[in-house]
Parts: sequence; structure tokens; C-alpha cells
Amino acid sequence: MILVCGGLADGVTELVCARLQDSGYPYRLLDLARYPAGYRLAWRWTDAGPAGTVAGPDWALDLDALTGVYVRYLGPEGRLPPQGDPEAAAALQVEADAGLVALLENLSCPVVNRIGGGMSNNSKPYQALLLRRAGLKVPTTLVTNDPAVARAFQAEHGDVIYKSASGIRSIVRRLGPAQQARLVLLRYGPAQFQAYVPGHNVRVHTVGDTVFATRIETGAVDYRYAHLDGLDVAMTAVTLPAEVAAACLRAARELDLLFAGIDLKETPDGDYVCFEVNPCPGFIYYERHTGQPISAALADLLKGTTPAAWPAGRSSHRLTHSTRR
Amino acid sequence: MSAKPARSHRRRAMAGAPGNSNEDALAEPTDLGIARRVRDSRTRPVHLLLGDPADSCCAGVRARLAARGLPAHIVASPLAPPARLVWRLADGGLSSRLELGDDAAEIAGVLVRGTARFDPAGWEPADHTYMHAEMLAATLAWLTALRCPVVNRPSAALWYGGRASLLTWRPLLRRCGLHVPEQLITNDPAEAHAFRRRLAADGVAGAVYTPLTGEAGYLVATDAAWNGLADLQERSPVCLSEPHGAAHPACIVGGEVIWDDDSPPENRELASRLRQLAVATRLDFLEVAIAPFRRGLGVVTVEPVPVLEHFAAPTRARILDALTSLLLAPFAPEPEAMR
Repeated sequence: MILVCGGLADGVTELVCARLQDSGYPYRLLDLARYPAGYRLAWRWTDAGPAGTVAGPDWALDLDALTGVYVRYLGPEGRLPPQGDPEAAAALQVEADAGLVALLENLSCPVVNRIGGGMSNNSKPYQALLLRRAGLKVPTTLVTNDPAVARAFQAEHGDVIYKSASGIRSIVRRLGPAQQARLVLLRYGPAQFQAYVPGHNVRVHTVGDTVFATRIETGAVDYRYAHLDGLDVAMTAVTLPAEVAAACLRAARELDLLFAGIDLKETPDGDYVCFEVNPCPGFIYYERHTGQPISAALADLLKGTTPAAWPAGRSSHRLTHSTRR
Repeated sequence: MSAKPARSHRRRAMAGAPGNSNEDALAEPTDLGIARRVRDSRTRPVHLLLGDPADSCCAGVRARLAARGLPAHIVASPLAPPARLVWRLADGGLSSRLELGDDAAEIAGVLVRGTARFDPAGWEPADHTYMHAEMLAATLAWLTALRCPVVNRPSAALWYGGRASLLTWRPLLRRCGLHVPEQLITNDPAEAHAFRRRLAADGVAGAVYTPLTGEAGYLVATDAAWNGLADLQERSPVCLSEPHGAAHPACIVGGEVIWDDDSPPENRELASRLRQLAVATRLDFLEVAIAPFRRGLGVVTVEPVPVLEHFAAPTRARILDALTSLLLAPFAPEPEAMR
């Protein structure tokens, strides 16, 4: 049995449920818009690990019967409005969520994805170090709060982009005259700059040991926001060079992500440069444009019909550095 | 006393591992590169204690470093103005430099206790939140690749994960052969009562309710308390734990396990497993509380930011001495992230 934790109003969760249904794989939905209301939880930890049940309105699921878990957490906007005192309700919701996170981190079956693996996404330069260690080429990157150093970086590279170092306001923009005039503001806090990498974006989804790559062709700097600039986007399924595919799998494994969205760029020289790894990829966009069976591969992983890329239950990753294997 | 550390620092710099500036060995494997580093090393070495100025651990380490003639700064927000950061990752390798002010200093070691938000005055709340996140992200990357000793170099999970409950540490504790009292998460009063009965059958009265997002535990022993718990369960699952006896803390500093003098001898037998835990967590400085429960001795708290006040005065001094020694240890050949 598969457990899906998410909100039905979320398109990605809806697609995962639909694919499991199509594949004939039994699953139960823990609706995070309502959770914990309407669910009965009894999870007991002994030295042997967690055991117990989760029960919905008309079903009950033994944790021992789980073959896989898919989770896509919701923000406050995805939840039902709290009842009673908002402050108390928010605190209780955080407590309930902490319980679910603790369970998922402790389960021995594949969990897509455990929360610890995604934490590196909060620091792009930190993640870049891990990606480089996995064998992926990363763009020349500068993090600084010194305007003179930023100007020198642009003088050296000509075309430079800037984007947040954290996971907030993560939009890629070219460093143009308007931004150059504002570089003096860097003194208040650092920003991240990268040498512009020409070429086509390639989005890679790794599902266990399977790699799906999509080439994206557009004139926009950040194709996700091409529509804002009135630009078109074309997508094609492609096959990566073996060493790049292997490095993508290594990166996902390093980050303890059974399912990852990896952003690459294929340069005119045939190099592949990696920008970041998304631990909770919204893959619908790519699957619908290319027909790649990403959700089917995910369903197989959750059912256990394809082995996970590495032994499940590396839940200690949450508290440790990723390790080389 | 003060001459040795200074010589030691010079020796490390000549070996190609300057404290603050951080360059990949591959970037400049020539004599010219070494000469440049020696020149850089003429700047004054300083230790950085990342934490609250009121933190007794930071203050104690600073005093010990000062006694050896080594300056140290306690900083809660290392990238706030007037600090100057240059962190650059390129094909040739990584270089980084952090200057805390006008005084160019070579950072010789860092103790990581925590960070604080910089002064929000003059900032819109959303912009302040954004800039704080940017500073956290940059600080983590900077710490990750530093070549000087970094005590408790954080992973992203630790840096961003907040305070982890005992449940979160369970798999790692289990892997190290350390037991943990039984725990239950449930929003079903019948399950809570079954837990109560199981404990009672073993002669244990009550259970401990510990919010996963808090630190305090509350003994639930009377019928009234159990009824109150049932009311709470209507709104949220609760975490119950098996009660335990008196807890004694142990502090792992480097490979050394430090106990209060009155710690029971049977606790000390867990020393090798505690060392194993420290290795598994990649933390140089870790506090673990051990207590007896139904099935023997077990871990009841894991604290990756040890609290000095949990220990008796003589123990605190030993912990601070060990921490100071760690900060003065030879440079690691290469931080893991750089391999």
C-alpha cells in the first residue's frame, strides 16, 4: 500500500494519485489540507523503529504494509482555515506536522522525499559545493557584499546573472545597468552572482535510478517566467551523456532525494552545467510537454516494483552531512 | 604561552591552509601560490565564536583564547555590516574571505553555536526576512568550505532544521547501539490509555507528554491530567514518552566524553557509543542526557548546541578546555565539501 500525503487541490499530488490509480497500485491519501482532522493516528516507537496505524474516514493503514510514501507539504494557503484562536491553532498545526515529519523520517520504506534531503536547497552556494562533489560542473559563482568585487566580477565575465542565495525570491535575472546602479546596496547584505552560461536549459528528473531529461528552448533568462516577458518555450525529451546522467544520480543520492528535479544548461560546447536541485519538483509541466513517463516511474518506485536507488531509511541524513558513498 | 599558537598558525599557513582566505589546493599548486599565502598570513589571526555574546560557552572559550594571547570575536550575525564577504566558486576551485571590519584578520578557527537576525531597523519586514535568509545561506556556504578548524560545522539539515526532537534522533541513536525510551504519537485517547496501561503493568506510573516543538516535558499521572490530554488530542496528536529516572548529561568534545563527577559508573560504560554518535552526527561538540528507564539505560535528550549550565562547575571548565584545544587543532587537510 502506498501513502500519499498532500492536498488534492495541488496539481502534482493530483497527478500522482491519478497515476497510481491508472497503474492499479493501491494507495491512501492523507489530505494535508485537513490533517490531522478526520484522521486517527497511532504511531509507536520502540528500539525496532516505528509501528502502528493511520486511519482515514473509511480506511486504516498499517505502517508495516507501506511500500512507499509520496509527500508534498502544503503552505498555509493550502490548509483549511483554522478553527478557534488562530495563534493556538497555528501552534497545534505545527505540532501535528512535526509528528508527521518525524514519522516519515523514521520509516524504512522509500519516502519521496524525506525533508532532510531538501534542506540544501535553502542555500544555493552550499548546494553548489555538494553538486560539484557529485561530479557536476557548476557555474562560476560569487557571493559577496562588496560592490567593488561584484563590479570586477562583471568586468571579468561580461554577462552576469544574479539570483538569491537562499530559497526565497528565487528568480534569475541578468545584471543590467539598472542593477549595477544598485550595487552599492550590497553593503547591507550579500547577493549571489553567476557568470551567464549560454545554451539550452535541460531539466532532469531522477526517479530512483531512472533519468528523464528535457531540453527547454526559449529566449528568456529564466524559462519558468518566460510568459512574463511574452516569450515562447519549447520542450523536447533528450538523452544525457552517460557521465552527466551518472553525476545527476550521484547528486540525488548525495542529497538523499529519491525524486529530484535538477536544472542543467547544455552549453554550445556540449558541456553541462548544473544550477540547482529541486527536492520537490513540480514535474507536470515537463511530463505534459514531452510525454515522458515521469509519474509512472514514480508510481513504480512507490509500489516497490522498481528498486529504490539506494537502501531506504537513511533518515539520519536529516541530522548529518551527506556522505560520499 | 602565547608564542606557540602564533608559531603554529604560521606553520599552517606555510603548509598552504590559511584560515580566513580559503583556496583549493588545486588552484595554485605552485611556489608562487604558497608565497602569496605566506604574505596573506601576516594579518592578525583571530578566532570567531558564532553565537550570542551572553552565551557562557562563547565567553569561556574567548577567555581561554585570550589567556593564550589569541584574540577572538563573539559574533551573532557574521555577515552584517561592516563585514565583507567574498566567496567565489569557479572551475579552478573555491576561494573565500570574510573580513569582520576594517581590521583585516585571518580567521584561525570558528566555534558554531548559533546565529541571530541582524538589526531590523530601517528594513521592511519582508525585506528583512529575505536578507536574513540570504545571510544564513551565505554563512552556511562559507562555513562549509572553511579550512580552519570549525567546531560543529553544520549540515544544511542542522542549520535549517531547528531544534530536533528525540524522535528525529532515534534512527541514529539506534544505529549507534543507544536505547531510547518508548514513545507514542497519537490523537486517539484510547491509544494513549493503552500506553498508560502498558507502562502501569511494568510498574511505571504515568507518561511524559512532550510537545515535539518544545523542550519541556509534562508528567501525565492523574486522571484529571489524562482527561486534559484527551481534550488536547481532539485538536492535535500528542507525543508521549515512557518516564525515566534521573538524567545525567554527558558532553562529547572531539573524541573525549566528559561527565560530571557524580555520573553513575554504568552511564560511563556508554562512552564508546556516545563517541560513535558524535562521529555519526559529524558534530565535534554534542550533549547527550542518559537516564534509566524500564529496559535499562537510554538517551533522553540530544543537544547539538550543548548548554554549559547543565554541567557542574568543574565539568564546565574541562569542557571549555577541550573546546579551546579543538579550535587550536591543526587544520583539516580538506573539508568534506571540498573533496
